[in-house]
Amino acid sequence: MLTGIAFGADESAEKAEAIFKANCYSCHGAALKMSKLDLRTRETILKGGEHGAVVVPNNPEASLLYKLVSGTQQPSMPPGKKLVAADIEMLRTWIDRGAPYDGIAPADEDKLKTLAKLEDRPIRPEERKFWSFQPVKRPAVKGAGSAAVDELWLKSLAAKGLKPNPQADLRSLIRRAYLDLIGLAPTPDQVTAFVNDKSPNAWPKLVEQLLASPHYGERWGRHWLDLARYSDSAGYEFDRDRPTMFHYRDWVIEAFNRDVPYNEFVRLQLAGDELKPGDREGRVASVYLRLGQEANIKTAQTRMDELDDLLATTGGSMLGMTIGCARCHNHKFDPIPQKDYYRMQAVFFSAKPVEEPFAEAAAIAAHKTALAEWNAKLKELRAAKGQIDKPYRERLLDEKKSKLPEFFQIALKTPADKRTEGQRLNAIQVEKFLVVDDKELQPLLNADERARWTKLKEEIAALDKKKPEIPTLLTIEEKRADPSYFLHHGSVDSPGTEMKPGILSVAHEGEWAFPDKTTGPGLGRRAAFADWVTSPSNPLSARVMVNRIWQHHFGEGLVRTTSNFGKTGELPTHPELLDWLASEFVQQGWSIKKMHRTLMLSQVYQQSSSDRADGIAADPENRLLWRQARQRLEAEIIRDQILAAAGTLKLDLGGPGVYPFIDPSLYAGSSGRTWPGKQIDDPSTFRRSVYIFQKRTIQVPMMELFDTPNGIGSCSRRNRSTIATQALILMNNAFVLDQAKRFAARLKQEAGDQPAAQVKRAFDLTLSRAPSPKELAEAVSFIGSAPEGLVDFAQTIFNLNEFAYIP
Amino acid sequence: MSGKGEVVVSQGTPGGILPSPWKFKKYGQSGMDVSELFPHVAKHVDDIAFVRSMYSLSNDHAPALFQMNTGSVLTGHPSMGSWVTYGLGTENQNLPAYIVFQDWRGGPIGGAPNWGNGYMPAMYQGTPFRSTGDPIVDLKPPEGMTPERQKRWLGFLDKLNAEHAAKNPQDSEFAARIASFELAYQMQKHATDAVAINTEPQHIRDMYGVDGERTQYVGKQLLMARRLVERGVRFVQVYSGGGNFQESWDAHWDLKANHEMHCGETDQPVAALLADLKQRGLLDSTLVIWHGEFGRMPISQRLDGRDHNPYGYTVWMAGGGIKGGQVIGATDEFGYKAVENRKSVNDLHATMLHCLGFNHEKLTYPYNGRNMRLTDVSGNLIKELVA
Repeated sequence: MLTGIAFGADESAEKAEAIFKANCYSCHGAALKMSKLDLRTRETILKGGEHGAVVVPNNPEASLLYKLVSGTQQPSMPPGKKLVAADIEMLRTWIDRGAPYDGIAPADEDKLKTLAKLEDRPIRPEERKFWSFQPVKRPAVKGAGSAAVDELWLKSLAAKGLKPNPQADLRSLIRRAYLDLIGLAPTPDQVTAFVNDKSPNAWPKLVEQLLASPHYGERWGRHWLDLARYSDSAGYEFDRDRPTMFHYRDWVIEAFNRDVPYNEFVRLQLAGDELKPGDREGRVASVYLRLGQEANIKTAQTRMDELDDLLATTGGSMLGMTIGCARCHNHKFDPIPQKDYYRMQAVFFSAKPVEEPFAEAAAIAAHKTALAEWNAKLKELRAAKGQIDKPYRERLLDEKKSKLPEFFQIALKTPADKRTEGQRLNAIQVEKFLVVDDKELQPLLNADERARWTKLKEEIAALDKKKPEIPTLLTIEEKRADPSYFLHHGSVDSPGTEMKPGILSVAHEGEWAFPDKTTGPGLGRRAAFADWVTSPSNPLSARVMVNRIWQHHFGEGLVRTTSNFGKTGELPTHPELLDWLASEFVQQGWSIKKMHRTLMLSQVYQQSSSDRADGIAADPENRLLWRQARQRLEAEIIRDQILAAAGTLKLDLGGPGVYPFIDPSLYAGSSGRTWPGKQIDDPSTFRRSVYIFQKRTIQVPMMELFDTPNGIGSCSRRNRSTIATQALILMNNAFVLDQAKRFAARLKQEAGDQPAAQVKRAFDLTLSRAPSPKELAEAVSFIGSAPEGLVDFAQTIFNLNEFAYIP
Repeated sequence: MSGKGEVVVSQGTPGGILPSPWKFKKYGQSGMDVSELFPHVAKHVDDIAFVRSMYSLSNDHAPALFQMNTGSVLTGHPSMGSWVTYGLGTENQNLPAYIVFQDWRGGPIGGAPNWGNGYMPAMYQGTPFRSTGDPIVDLKPPEGMTPERQKRWLGFLDKLNAEHAAKNPQDSEFAARIASFELAYQMQKHATDAVAINTEPQHIRDMYGVDGERTQYVGKQLLMARRLVERGVRFVQVYSGGGNFQESWDAHWDLKANHEMHCGETDQPVAALLADLKQRGLLDSTLVIWHGEFGRMPISQRLDGRDHNPYGYTVWMAGGGIKGGQVIGATDEFGYKAVENRKSVNDLHATMLHCLGFNHEKLTYPYNGRNMRLTDVSGNLIKELVA
């Protein structure tokens, strides 16, 4: 273990728990609570025993527990033996960090029997009949691939007496494919080449080109990042940065580009550390388990909240089930027993958060040595400085004590063993909080002392800044199977039976086998769970994923509630089509790219998105897809397109997040949270928006207002609001105006001084089409009628509806 | 405080009992006890109902703030302002329906999720208003873009967008987006006018303490708040205190200086708001809630401060159908725990929604398979408050 790296606070929690378990539980645990002290939960530790509180969070020296284990107060504990120095130091660190704790006290035997009766909630056979729990049934179709899709789609359409729209015009098609697959508009040359390509495979060729583009992963990886609630910060009060999370984001993007089969993609995230031990990809993918918000002070409760967040996210994103609803009671609407929840929790329970060095072994060893040396040197300098100012410090403290309010004076004057409880506490306060700072000391030192003292102070300050560092990764470590329990009412105070790992019982008859390992690294539970999630017999996973792919190609899923395939979700509009796709997906090796091909080469994808009176009358919500959807682009793509139009977009892939400008009044002053925003015209920020640093509580306004999710909960479908403050940003934001100027300059450079040429170029670049004669005339007259005409025309383009929608 | 180790503090070492450094006096017909820190608000006690038995679930700022604002200690839920605007809609299209003023020293701990829309659409999120310069970020274009110029290109935009929309005339999203530019243009003028407190008569400015050294910040914000409410804004939130410790009411040490500063900044403006709403006949239709995210401990911390206390604290409400001049509930004799007629944050929210015309169990929003509520699965109307 490396000390000195900012390890998660709960590492000390886990260590403290292990120390207590090994040395103290026999007298202060389930069987016996000597001195009425129970060390099994944070609550009971803080409550203390008949000798009062045993732990004062953040103050080891004032904590009875520390005094007893370190031997500074008698009787020393545990009786008859002394803890090893490392354990004593660990307990000190633990108290100093506020005594975080994971332990849950199991219930007593007889209580357990009563509780166990309440825990069983068998699945009734009819409950398995709900559509999404039924095995995927591949319908008989005449055609294969895209033809099968069209066959099933047209069948539903015909049943309503509706006809499909004709194929979209070629310019709309290429624009649709580009924006959909890579999130960038085609260049005018690409449009021309496609429109002029009369070969029958022009369209499939285009789809292939786009699937091979590295920008495909940036676009489609982002959809997964929404589901995984990806973020570059830890959330909650301090929302601390997690500067290494981008490795996960880059892995997702790259996995989409490599077309990692979806089953493998899921397995790596749930259990990459187990499936590919020691492998970089396995470690980075399993960062998925650390994407949630994490509290600063760890308790049993915060651990449960973090696990709940992970279960809810996993259930929604990978299974389309709202399993989080079964935390406190059996699911109210779906056949998800509370026991399933806690059995699935047991799958993840022993995977504890850690921050590990992310470097070669030699670099890790070198860092360890350097850190030990650094610590020793710092300690030495501090001691030397303290030696010089000691007499003055003590004198100043005495003076300060004499100026305290009367009740403190009385407490101090009373001998320690005669003090009332309040006086005892007040005396501790004086000892701990009456401090002398260097500014007060400095004038008191004599010239020689001051010279030596100041030199030491400077050396300390200089050394402080040179702490040896090493790249790290937030990941998990699973050393041993920790017991976890059914929590009645979801309360850590009401543990029931100990839980063994399990799965969603309604979706699988009988038990799913989990290995019985009790020590790690890796217990095999997550790998076994991932095997179930991605098993072809699992009725949910493939359906859920193909439905998501459908949603992004067609605006809405075949099941519109894409993360809820339960009773409160919607029913599939095309059940046969959904099942055919799910079955095809598995047959084609869970290849996402093959699914794109199948869908995009279909007629349903290529049809025009224009309204038709009969369609609106019969199916106003377009549930049967008599036309293609007109999808509003996400915040990221709108911003990317502005940069692309202006010719400023940098297309580098991957790496740490970038910081566009945010007005400081939007984040100033909150708990030291800050945003190192660059100037609006700083080219380092002109990258695709998927690379913007994703801070949970500070979002770039343009992203926030256009419904980019905040990374707190899993997002399966973005809200699509239209509000005046969105318009204000596009009208007034200095970044937008600066890009408009650059766009105007580009138009001038590429099209010359003639407004007509400028307008044509602008339409080609941003809308993939030529202006209509009317548009051209209006635009030319607009540009010519004022000196800033061209810049204002450029900004107008950014604000067109057509600019913000997939045609 | 018998010292049996049952006091749970959030930071550092608990001390003994710390006596209040301030005197209390009785005020109003109702004979309410008020500290000398609040000489102005004290004059309005007959319009105010105090709940002295509040408790909440976290002694940590951010979760406690989230609970007060969203009903949940966890982030990601819609804030009460979002619920209110979701329920009431907007009365003035030219202004945001939900507006937030932050302390001049900075925003509250936890930041934007405190006025976030959670899983609701972005239209229900609070819009932060600044009390100097333009009230909204990006309300006005940068230098060089004149209103005339902007109006001109917006007109051109309108033309092009109309031609595009004509191809699919029934598309309501296109229509809404076209309208949003008109609204945004109107908002530039209306938002500026709404906070133009320089047009208020001097005696009103003096009442709020707009020109006072200590009272200027909250004075301006509350006067703006009144103007916004008059213009149909549904929910206005004004924060006093930003960040930790002395910047906020977070008196872990030097309680005396801390509370004298923050009370000094807010007492006169808050009293002015009550008086002003009353004299305009607006108090009956405007609910005023004064609250923090928790209270402070009766014992000392760092010698002369107090730690967080979510176990027993006070909020007060006035106007909007609240029956003033009464006290609900009580803490123990030390002010440590609410013991009599205990009220949760859900209860407070249920009562707030009631005053605004909602049954808190029926104001729901579907999300992830559930009909979500501001009050989750609990909360009871505090009937005495609205009797």
